[in-house]
Amino acid sequence: MKYEEFKNLVIKAAEAKELKDYELYYNASESVSVEAFAHEINEFSSSTEGGVCFRVLLGGQMGYASTEDMSAEEAAAIVERAVENAAVLETAEESFLAEAGGTYQTVEEKHFVPATAQELVKTALEGQNIAYAADPQVINGTTTSAINESGTVAIYNSRGLDLSASYATAVIVAAPVVSDGKEMNNTYEVKLGSLDQIDLKEVIEKAVTNAKKKLGAGVAPTGNYPVIFGPKATATLLATFSSAFSAEAAQKGLSPLKGKEGQTIAAENVTLIDDPFYEESPARIPFDAEGMPAYRKAVIENGEFRTLLYNLKTAAVAGVKTTGNASKHGYSSPVGISPFTLILQPGTLPEEELLKEAGNGVYIDSLMGTHAGANPISGDFSLQSGGFMIENGEKTKAVKSFTVAGNFYEMLKQIDALSNKAEYQGMGGLTAFAAPAILVNGLSVAGK
Amino acid sequence: MISRVLCEKVLAAAASTGADYAELFAEKTFNRSVNMLDNRVQQVGDNVVAGVGIRVFKGLRSVAASTVDTSEEGLIRCAKQAAAALGEGKAEISIVLRERLYGDIHPVRIVPGSVETTRKAEILKSAYFAAKDADPAIVQVSGGLMDVDHNILVANSEGVYAQDRQIRTRLFITAVADKGQGTQTGSTGPGARKGMEFYDEIDPAAAGREAARQALVMAGAGYCPAGTMPVVIDNGFGGVIFHEACGHSLEASSVAYGTSQFSGKLGQQIANEKVTAVDDGTIPNAWGSVNFDDEGTPSHRNVLIEKGILKSYMIDKFGGRRMGMAPTGNARRQSYAYVTTSRMTNTFICNGEDRNEDIIASVEYGLYAKDMGGGSVNPATGQFNFSVKEGYLIRNGKICEPVRGASLVGTGSEILMKIDMVGQNLSRAQGMCGSSSGSIPTDVGQPMIRVSSITVGGR
Repeated sequence: MKYEEFKNLVIKAAEAKELKDYELYYNASESVSVEAFAHEINEFSSSTEGGVCFRVLLGGQMGYASTEDMSAEEAAAIVERAVENAAVLETAEESFLAEAGGTYQTVEEKHFVPATAQELVKTALEGQNIAYAADPQVINGTTTSAINESGTVAIYNSRGLDLSASYATAVIVAAPVVSDGKEMNNTYEVKLGSLDQIDLKEVIEKAVTNAKKKLGAGVAPTGNYPVIFGPKATATLLATFSSAFSAEAAQKGLSPLKGKEGQTIAAENVTLIDDPFYEESPARIPFDAEGMPAYRKAVIENGEFRTLLYNLKTAAVAGVKTTGNASKHGYSSPVGISPFTLILQPGTLPEEELLKEAGNGVYIDSLMGTHAGANPISGDFSLQSGGFMIENGEKTKAVKSFTVAGNFYEMLKQIDALSNKAEYQGMGGLTAFAAPAILVNGLSVAGK
Repeated sequence: MISRVLCEKVLAAAASTGADYAELFAEKTFNRSVNMLDNRVQQVGDNVVAGVGIRVFKGLRSVAASTVDTSEEGLIRCAKQAAAALGEGKAEISIVLRERLYGDIHPVRIVPGSVETTRKAEILKSAYFAAKDADPAIVQVSGGLMDVDHNILVANSEGVYAQDRQIRTRLFITAVADKGQGTQTGSTGPGARKGMEFYDEIDPAAAGREAARQALVMAGAGYCPAGTMPVVIDNGFGGVIFHEACGHSLEASSVAYGTSQFSGKLGQQIANEKVTAVDDGTIPNAWGSVNFDDEGTPSHRNVLIEKGILKSYMIDKFGGRRMGMAPTGNARRQSYAYVTTSRMTNTFICNGEDRNEDIIASVEYGLYAKDMGGGSVNPATGQFNFSVKEGYLIRNGKICEPVRGASLVGTGSEILMKIDMVGQNLSRAQGMCGSSSGSIPTDVGQPMIRVSSITVGGR
């Protein structure tokens, strides 16, 4: 059955049990994806996913139950299960539901023309032609994909809140494989937007160029160098350590930023903004996962730590207002805290100047294994990296298979300069990051 | 779940435009979890995942469609959508399904859904407080107990109509210790393809104490020095080195496209002759085991590498078409919404002939990785990384002080040749492996091994 019908059945079931405080959260997404390989369509997939989460506030505890099975039996069953689950909880902090009547920012409609399946097929195949034409070193294994993604989020609660929003984007993924006869390398480039406005040639050629540059890469020599993290690598670091800005992590002793609001935690050139309405974001939703208004805020301003990110529960504990950062990773997950698009504000230097400033060191444009080699609680990281040597202020030979190690929180204070252009990095889901390249003097590199 | 007759109808609709293979995967999965932090039960997870994924192939083309609408109309609509995406044509295969009973070699005594959540919370608490109370330097503990009741049905145009019920449970404890030099974590996560009887077989409190012990050791450790050195990796989760450095590159999803470092190398030496490695989905009650895979192929024990020689890849039906090889029982997906591909089950390096004490004694200066964290790999280049959760320096053949923050990086093909000692204490450990078909349970494993030289990241 459709969500609206299911919602009414859930409300009836909740009323029959005389529940006073409850919420229904719905998230559904559709995706159509076409992947081309060796000038043929290799894989076509379309998926419809979606589910609902029922939350009930009983005795100060918030019980959850979720389902994808939108049947009449399940409508009654999730209410039942959420009530049972609430009884097991021992949370010390009070839980809340959003009150209706908040002011929500109006989101400006973006130009978006949903692509048809035929257009996706055409684009993926055209991508193959462009990739193979781009360079003779492009080999079999190269895939190009065109994807349509759309979704809906809706929140209803017993306080009169009834919100919904939807989003849609096309995605181009270029994944070229190149070989010089001796070794193989691959990379990928992702571009979001309206299909009719994406420059396919630019995206694919950029990916091919990047893949080629890494052929014949050596291993960086072990030592302590000035390091430039490229925009993608900087965004990866931000993503890895962004949980430290969550008030929940701070209140549970899992963030070193606890109690540091108002203090200087970063170099003066560091300003970090959380923006739900960032221009390049495909999902600009005016409310958070609890239904509270979303808004733009500075997390760090000129090195000063302005605010943690809060949801209703953690804001009440701290005695402040929520920052509207309640989030869910999927419809069934507990309400946590995340940024929308977390932006490290660009600096003033073009990247060439940043390289000159570094003199001799390493330029890192990819970081891998962040789920294993980085600890958001301590800030320590030791990550597999790829990039280039910097010699006399210029990028020279490609390097791979080395690690860069340091401490994120110490590094925030040691950012010497930032480049003047931020790049947007979607990470899947509603959270994204944008960052320029940054220069950090003196990080430990382990290679040969 | 879905009757054989309806499956036949749906598959016929899916194959109506000329597919040479059609498949239906249906699931109803009950995911439950209890989570603790700050000494309290903070969250009870309770989610039902239900839906159907339909796939059709024609030659080297694959079309997949999934839906949450499992009514007859919904299934036919989804099947027709897949058929339309495949192109225009007439039906070329007829669908006749025969019910198959593959059997179940993973007996479950206590179905988790039949146990009160309060009882699960009690088990979790015994582990949680064993960690919390281990030492005053343990400043925080988080823990969870999860169980999954994954009911699947696979029907395909080769006549398979089979159902399986995969029940798994796992306990996680992460302890955070602080001795004034910054916090460090320790963690354990034992799990099995078993019901709640698993917690009578293991001691949950011991799992909690182990997490605390590791956090305490690492909280007192200095940073690991960086450089290239011999590394001894101990058993259990140490097997993640093989999983990352080699396992992913032996999956058809990269081999079939020529984008694996090991494409075209069957019968060739790719590892040191001391290395024999296996992927075995048939181990009773193991975390990564399946009775049959998500395409309806019975699970196998596949010898991947025998004495250094590459013997087999891990192959799903679609990858197998490109490779001209039969599927090996490795087709897996997180759920109906993901497109199935070749994945690992329980993958491990077999016992060798070296004595563990000789392995340690052989190292003049190097790293002893007692426990490993996660990692990742690019199968095309073979470049991998993983973190060392609990490491010690070895000097003059003796294990010395603990070191924190170490990671290992390298290239699979190089590292495999450098595994020059293999010990005798094989054990397996549980992990979740992420790839294009989602997050799936897999075991990694090995006895103690020595890698003669590897890049250690530290500072």
